Amino acid sequence: MTTPPLPQPVPCVQAPAHWQRVDFISDLHLDASEAATFQAWVQHMAHTPADALFILGDLFEVWVGDDNQDPFALQCMAVLKATAQRLPVYFMCGNRDFLVGTELLKATGMQGLNDPTVLDLDPTLRLLLSHGDALCLDDHDYLAFRAQVRHPDWQAAFLAKPLAERQAYALDVRQQSEARKQTHTNYADVDPAAACAWLTASNAQVLLHGHTHKPATHDLGHGLIRWVLSDWHATSQPPRLEVVSWLRQNAQSPTRGLCRLPLCQA
Amino acid sequence: MSNPQVELHILDLGVITLELDAEKAPKCTENFLHYVNKGHYDKTIFHRVIPGFMVQGGGFEPGMSQKECDEPIENEANNGLKNDHYTVAMARTSDPHSATAQFFINVANNDFLNHKAPSMQGWGYAVFGKVVSGNDVVDKIAGVKTGRKGFHDDVPKEDVVIEKAVAL
Repeated sequence: MTTPPLPQPVPCVQAPAHWQRVDFISDLHLDASEAATFQAWVQHMAHTPADALFILGDLFEVWVGDDNQDPFALQCMAVLKATAQRLPVYFMCGNRDFLVGTELLKATGMQGLNDPTVLDLDPTLRLLLSHGDALCLDDHDYLAFRAQVRHPDWQAAFLAKPLAERQAYALDVRQQSEARKQTHTNYADVDPAAACAWLTASNAQVLLHGHTHKPATHDLGHGLIRWVLSDWHATSQPPRLEVVSWLRQNAQSPTRGLCRLPLCQA
Repeated sequence: MSNPQVELHILDLGVITLELDAEKAPKCTENFLHYVNKGHYDKTIFHRVIPGFMVQGGGFEPGMSQKECDEPIENEANNGLKNDHYTVAMARTSDPHSATAQFFINVANNDFLNHKAPSMQGWGYAVFGKVVSGNDVVDKIAGVKTGRKGFHDDVPKEDVVIEKAVAL
């Protein structure tokens, strides 16, 4: 499959000079059944000293529409709102929570991000932020599913269904995903050529994404780097709980200020 | 000489009047008028709508079929005009000098699109005019529901059609 063209111009967030630390998280897959992961997230949201927080997709295991008012959704919204009152919080949809819409953004005070978006941090670092799923070119089944569910007609039809029906669908998707995990299917990874093409087209040096659950830092050559965020799972041994941060004080370091940090706690 | 004006008649939404800056952006202006006068923009759509950023059109027909265009033009982003709210600029690929027919209307002050240096990274996007009436129509376009169609994200759910573009 060929590289999807990157539409131009690419949206961009320009970091104000006073941002000293910026946090990036993705793939938390928050769910009422994963209480420990939720608690770790609550702690980090309350205590991170970051000046801005970027959520790069799959914050939620599933999101069936902004009208969902189940107790867990309301708890999550309260955390997001409290954090967004303390620092700017940016939200990009992933493949699980792509139905997050303007109502949730409005209710929580988060700012929506297009996928991809450039984050201009300082003169030496332009980060290209993406969830990453659109670049997994070998995952043909998923890309076909993505094209289907991101279609405005599909979304309008789905959102028009009663909430209970949507929740049943979500449960179904979750079970399918669990079943797939059990089979240890080797998930497709981001296509390096596609990553390079996107970086070149957006004049960015570093692609930062999640989705693959394969946290690593890849040298793509030509001075281009791909940073992959970790998924979160508090009850794994060892726990998978990690944030990627950018620290202005380390901007001159070989990693240009990017690093992996443990979560903040009280 | 007064600056040329072009009306974009948007189906069901109203009319956007653009004033083109023939003095500061002569090549873009000539190019845009050329496409207007040959009817290129009639029945094209705004195919990429990102609220808080820009609305882009002029290259696709309903159904997301791409229209043939003429030769690309030189990038005039170094003309001093800024990508401010309600200005109109030429869209392009990552090659600075690749603009053909597609254009976008800024729906925010997008400083990061302005010219910084004559390099791949720094060229920026060439502003060649501004909306002089119909800001409300632009706002309506920026507010439509969007989704993904084929390989394209941010496509309006209901087509936003330029019925006709008329040079005044």
